[in-house]
Amino acid sequence: MENVIINGLQQGLIYGFMALGVLLTFRILGFPDLTVEGTFPLGAAVAATAVVKGIDPTIAVLLGAASGGVAGAATGLMHTRLKVNNILAGILTASAIYTVMLRVMGRPNTPLLAYDSFFTKAMGLFGLNESQMSLFEMQVATISILFIMVLAARLLLGWFLKTDMGLTIRATGSNEKMIRALGVNTENTKLLTLVIANTLVGLSGALACQNQGFADVGMGFGVLVAAIASVIVGEMLFGGRSLSMLLTGVVLGSILYRSLLALGLRLNLPAEDFKMVTALLVLLALTLPNLKLGKANSKKKTSMLGSLTRSLGAEKQ
Amino acid sequence: MIKLNNIYKYFFADTPNEVVALNNINLNIKEGDFVTVIGSNGAGKSTLLKAIAGVEMVDQGIIELAGKDVTSQPEHKRAREIGRIDQDPMASTASDMTIEENLAMAYMRGRRRGLLRAVTGGRTKRFKEVVADVGLGLENRLQVPVGTLSGGQRQALALVMATIAQPKLLLLDEHTAALDPKAAKQIMEITRKIVDTKKLTTLMITHNMEQAIKFGTRLIMMHRGEIILDINQQEKEKLTVPQLIEKFTNTSGTTFDDDRVLLAN
Ligand SMILES: Nc1ncnc2c1ncn2[C@@H]1O[C@H](COP(=O)(O)OP(=O)(O)OP(=O)(O)O)[C@@H](O)[C@H]1O
Ligand SMILES: [Mg+2]
Repeated sequence: MENVIINGLQQGLIYGFMALGVLLTFRILGFPDLTVEGTFPLGAAVAATAVVKGIDPTIAVLLGAASGGVAGAATGLMHTRLKVNNILAGILTASAIYTVMLRVMGRPNTPLLAYDSFFTKAMGLFGLNESQMSLFEMQVATISILFIMVLAARLLLGWFLKTDMGLTIRATGSNEKMIRALGVNTENTKLLTLVIANTLVGLSGALACQNQGFADVGMGFGVLVAAIASVIVGEMLFGGRSLSMLLTGVVLGSILYRSLLALGLRLNLPAEDFKMVTALLVLLALTLPNLKLGKANSKKKTSMLGSLTRSLGAEKQ
Repeated sequence: MIKLNNIYKYFFADTPNEVVALNNINLNIKEGDFVTVIGSNGAGKSTLLKAIAGVEMVDQGIIELAGKDVTSQPEHKRAREIGRIDQDPMASTASDMTIEENLAMAYMRGRRRGLLRAVTGGRTKRFKEVVADVGLGLENRLQVPVGTLSGGQRQALALVMATIAQPKLLLLDEHTAALDPKAAKQIMEITRKIVDTKKLTTLMITHNMEQAIKFGTRLIMMHRGEIILDINQQEKEKLTVPQLIEKFTNTSGTTFDDDRVLLAN
């Protein structure tokens, strides 16, 4: 049980960055950004390669995050400047990223066990020495570091979304015509949002690779659906009434979701079924409000997941 | 303030369904003018406003705003100087966001939107004042999401938002048409008050002839993409609705076919 909690917290916090990014695009901007399936392993691949090349793990993680931002910019430019459909733009970038990862790493995966990780470095900052710590102490320290980082990201995002610039992102998701009529170039807003969100996802991937000790081109598979599941869990359980609750709820949702996965593993449930179960749960969560209410006025009651549903195109016409 | 020279706008150009939505429009609106626009369904009124705002690009002609050629400027650039409200109360405000957030976005019209907090004590104080001026009690509900407001309240807020940054031009497209008569009357009074105190150059489409005569300093009537009547203030003051209908029939050679206009009397 202890392991379940530790794993859940560790994974949940790492993927929490990604959940925040997905919240930003899918839920707040209403942009179904599929780039993230590629951005996540890209962040890992770039960070891993940087570490192997002798770059400090902290800088390597930042490079991983930045590579995510570049990927977001690619999708954003395709969509806003070249007028490529939003889903397709994301798919094109994600697909191209596959080549980039293979080129960067030179092979499909990079093991990092022989190198210092970002986490041991960070522990060093607090005067902790890896060789003198038990596994449990290491795990607690890792979780603490992640917690501080996620908290910082959460607070930063919360602050940003309340600035003049941040408001334009929320307004573009809420009523694009209106904010354009107030003098905002919404194309630039979308581009900016994609860069920020994918930077968070790249960071998530970079931290995941530092935590697990390797990067692999296949590690992005299914992460988007998992992140959407976390956003849904967060919004349903912890409430989407206010922006702050939403941001915090999504991180908690990510932790809860990862804890459930860890619990499933602990109970020896077949791990190969997890992606199918997650996909079905997401499908259910998005369509249940429609099915349940049938012909009755469904508009109002779906509003909680409304804009997520809208950007995923599952809304009943 | 705004000058339109030989404006043409076609829809479905070069097809059998071609529509000439704007047919050689020439219009010169002076600073401080409050122009009411009236005309039958499909006359091109909304298209005229959209062409000025840059929502629709024109196919021919030149549009000048405050002496500057803006014909090829995109909407978001022109919007720095132009406030605009639609008939749909959902269209001009963001329902997921609070009243003060909506106001903050409007307040920043035409300015750089940076990393300063959008809703601050100082701004809130100012928002309270301007919102209190419309007299709907919204000043005590600044933290409420706009989605919870009534249509009339939303349009009142939209009016404040369109004018808070002192635009060079205010465009109103039947902004009371979706409201019940009482709310519509209220919003018209608020409109008049704001336009007067801020001395805004305004173009207002209405389907209510009485309103078109009662409000504003100039009246234009459109028909099939053309301006067929242009009535100045002195003339307008003496005008009655039957006279206006008669003028329309004589000039256009058809009878006025907009049910809403006739019912509105
Ligand atoms: N986006 C569009 N695509 C095709 N045709 C359009 C479009 N917008 C307007 N039209 C056509 O252009 C003509 C003028 O329309 P417009 O909306 O300007 O009329 P209006 O005077 O505002 O009418 P109403 O009183 O009904 O609002 C109409 O024939 C209309 O069908
Ligand atoms: Mg119209």
